Amino acid sequence: MHDFQIWLVTTIGGRSAIADVMRTAWAWPLAESLHFLGLCMLIGGVGSFDLRLLGVARRIPIAAMHRFIPIGLLGFAINIATGTLFILTEPDQYIYNPSFHFKLMFMTIGGLNAATFYLTSYRRVFAPDAPLDAPRRAKVIAAISLCAWIGVITGGRLLTFYRPSACEGQQTELLLTCSP
Amino acid sequence: MNIDPFLAWVESTTLSQWIIGSPSMFAFPGILTLHAIGMGFAVGISTAIDLRILGVAPKVPLGELRRFLPILWAGFWLNAVSGVLLLIGYPTKALTNPVFYLKLTLIAVAMALLVRISRQVFYERTGSGGSSDPPTTAITSRLRNLAIASLVCWTGAITAGRLLAYTYHRLTQLH
Repeated sequence: MHDFQIWLVTTIGGRSAIADVMRTAWAWPLAESLHFLGLCMLIGGVGSFDLRLLGVARRIPIAAMHRFIPIGLLGFAINIATGTLFILTEPDQYIYNPSFHFKLMFMTIGGLNAATFYLTSYRRVFAPDAPLDAPRRAKVIAAISLCAWIGVITGGRLLTFYRPSACEGQQTELLLTCSP
Repeated sequence: MNIDPFLAWVESTTLSQWIIGSPSMFAFPGILTLHAIGMGFAVGISTAIDLRILGVAPKVPLGELRRFLPILWAGFWLNAVSGVLLLIGYPTKALTNPVFYLKLTLIAVAMALLVRISRQVFYERTGSGGSSDPPTTAITSRLRNLAIASLVCWTGAITAGRLLAYTYHRLTQLH
């Protein structure tokens, strides 16, 4: 795993045209702002649908509420794009960062959990005669979804407190020699 | 008016020193995390309401979205409390930076817009009967403008908030 991380950081290298742009004064803060806006769209789209499945606003048909999901997906896409820019620019700050590993883990849980919803509950929940109250299985999936995305936010916000520190006495661009 | 003595006093308090000095993840990192989560729910739900007004998810009865308001407000108050704690941690950093006042202004305007939108689509309706049924409001161009203004304010508030990390002049009184 450690070899893989070193290979990944070396391969990305942080020396590309994209990385050069990201190191200008405004690019990084701008991408961060977009990343936070994407977060809000994700919670506003996916989180509100999860809350509906859990029983908030029962009089809104679930199928109607599902039309907010594309907003969440758009937010997620914005965050994948901006997140990729961060990694391409400072790969070692993420690849070696335990908080980033947790963030990826929660993203995986959120993704698999969403796939489970569409594979197991979609037809029951969206049938024309479906009851306004979601079945128990869909509620469990919705609760896991909310927890997973809150976990993703937490992992992202804590990144900065788990950054690998620079090598003592050495000025290497990448933290290969002293990484964990 | 020189507010430095006041800022120095805030920074000398036990609470301020715990927030920024404690190695506990429940101190500064935890408060910052709660601030991001509260933002997600407050801005996310407000955005969903605005987008519904602008035509997204047209089959969602607009009035029924009021059931999400308690979660929106919970997110807002979580951020008011966590924001005050962050301010107590770094009063000089925030209060000597004009961008911080811009952020607060944009949030105040966004919340005022939310209250106006709420009044129009969730509550009062002259001559309406039972209180359990929200009004079925016609989406006027005025309402659309309020929704657009809300989205603009939230975008600005988040951008200003993020820029706080890059635009401050002084971190603490010592610096």
